[in-house]
Amino acid sequence: MSLTRRTALAAALATPLAAPAFAQGALTRMRVSVIPVLDVAPLHAAIREGFFAAEGIEIDTSTTAGGATGLPGLVAGQFRVVFSNVVSIMLGVREGLDFRFVSGASRAKDSPPDILALLVRKGSGIRTGRDLEGKRLASNTRNNIVWLRGMAWVEKTGGDWRRVNTVEVPFPQMADALAGGQVDAAIFSEPFVAAALETHGDRLERIGWPMSETAPGGTNAQYVAMADDLARNGDLFDRFGRALHKGVDWVNERQGQPALLELISAFSRVPLARLQNTALPAYPKAVTSAELDEIVATMTRYGLGGRYPASASLIFRTARG
Amino acid sequence: MRITSGTWLILGLLALWEASARLGWVDSPNWPALSQVLAALAADMATGELPARICGSLWRMGAGLAAGGLAGVLTGLAFALIPLTARLFGVVVELLRPIPVPAVIPPLVLFLGLDDPMKITVVALTVFFPVLTNTLQGVQAVEPDSIAMGRTFGIGPLRRAGFIILPAALPAILAGFRVALALALVVTVVAEMIAGEQGIGSYLVLMQFAGRAPEMYGVIVLLAALGYALNRGFVALERRLIAWWYAAGREAA
Repeated sequence: MSLTRRTALAAALATPLAAPAFAQGALTRMRVSVIPVLDVAPLHAAIREGFFAAEGIEIDTSTTAGGATGLPGLVAGQFRVVFSNVVSIMLGVREGLDFRFVSGASRAKDSPPDILALLVRKGSGIRTGRDLEGKRLASNTRNNIVWLRGMAWVEKTGGDWRRVNTVEVPFPQMADALAGGQVDAAIFSEPFVAAALETHGDRLERIGWPMSETAPGGTNAQYVAMADDLARNGDLFDRFGRALHKGVDWVNERQGQPALLELISAFSRVPLARLQNTALPAYPKAVTSAELDEIVATMTRYGLGGRYPASASLIFRTARG
Repeated sequence: MRITSGTWLILGLLALWEASARLGWVDSPNWPALSQVLAALAADMATGELPARICGSLWRMGAGLAAGGLAGVLTGLAFALIPLTARLFGVVVELLRPIPVPAVIPPLVLFLGLDDPMKITVVALTVFFPVLTNTLQGVQAVEPDSIAMGRTFGIGPLRRAGFIILPAALPAILAGFRVALALALVVTVVAEMIAGEQGIGSYLVLMQFAGRAPEMYGVIVLLAALGYALNRGFVALERRLIAWWYAAGREAA
């Protein structure tokens, strides 16, 4: 009798843990900071396909125009998870902020086309990083992954990155700034590469792939959370990771299919026709020590060095392959 | 509607917009023709998305306007009527007043989050100062005779403030609100552009990132019309609220 009662009690206690899916109406709300870019397709897939709901999580995405409010918002407790580029994350880590990687988001493919492209005006004669010395190169922000890969490309093609003048121009305005002559070259990310070539194709041309030419398959962006939140709510983040990674599978199974482009078009509002000419990133689940070591080495090379903690200590269990 | 020279100027500028895009004077996909912009605007209105976002933005603006306006009027009255409060807080207010509100958004995000409380506070802060300044000046300009008369009739200080001073200062206070109204709409959109998924501001960011210039300009045209309509509506309200003031003004003129 007492045995059955104890069993029943144990079962009653274990049920909500074992089957969070049954805890309908008691979804845990998680606010995630995103940028309306291609990289967050798996997150939106997981939301739309109900993978988060199945894990008892309701995702509330908050779109910011850039990394400017995402990571500070994470520190301030406004977000549980933030999507950001790896350079901005590591600069925060260098400053002592306790960011931990909970999942990979995007990285470069091993060969072109990749998500970054370097465009110049046709007939400008600019072909290499050496030609860019003393010229004005647009990047959406200084000291982020776009800028870093751009500087690596300049050096790889024979130029001195210190002699290139970086100008900050937001992606939506880059094509006009370049075509109008305010800058001599610009590092675009997709889908702005496709947009620029579609609308200014008669005047602009692509001369380089800053990612796949300098770091094939190199790291780009991840999801991070705060270390103390992970320590206290590890189970919640396990569920978050599982759901997100089902979204990654969903996306990867539909590479090259209309369903994926329709999903991206729905959350980003980028017209479907343009997405058909857009290069997509690779969508990894894991974050590896090797990719973090690579980025720290590259950052150090381009003036963003400093004391970084051992990269393995920054990876939460959900992001270990 | 009578077509004035001002209307012709607007029509002319809109025609210039259409022509500059159609004839390729400005050759950029980020400069769509007015007709494309209006078509995009109509499409987004028809789906119901834009009307819902406008309502959200107007609600946030209204809440901020009410909160900041009330605080401005009360502080203004206190400063004008109780000299001690002006001595205590006057310097603080004068120090805070010139700070551009977008500059204090990061600390507001830290303390108030990214949702409505932050956005409404941003609007309220913007509204507070013009209303305060105008209330203060309006109260100081109330004729001493009417206050003295109230005192003669034995009306207490609270009732004097509410029934003599406040009505007399109302034209100035409403002028402050009119300035604040225009600022409130601007700041609401700016606050919505920072973060979140609601309102006209976030829609602007989304369309900018999606490279959909017609939709983006559609919202800008809409904001211009909205700002104009709000101002016209406020002027109409003002004329009813302080009809006596306009009547007196006309007599004097």
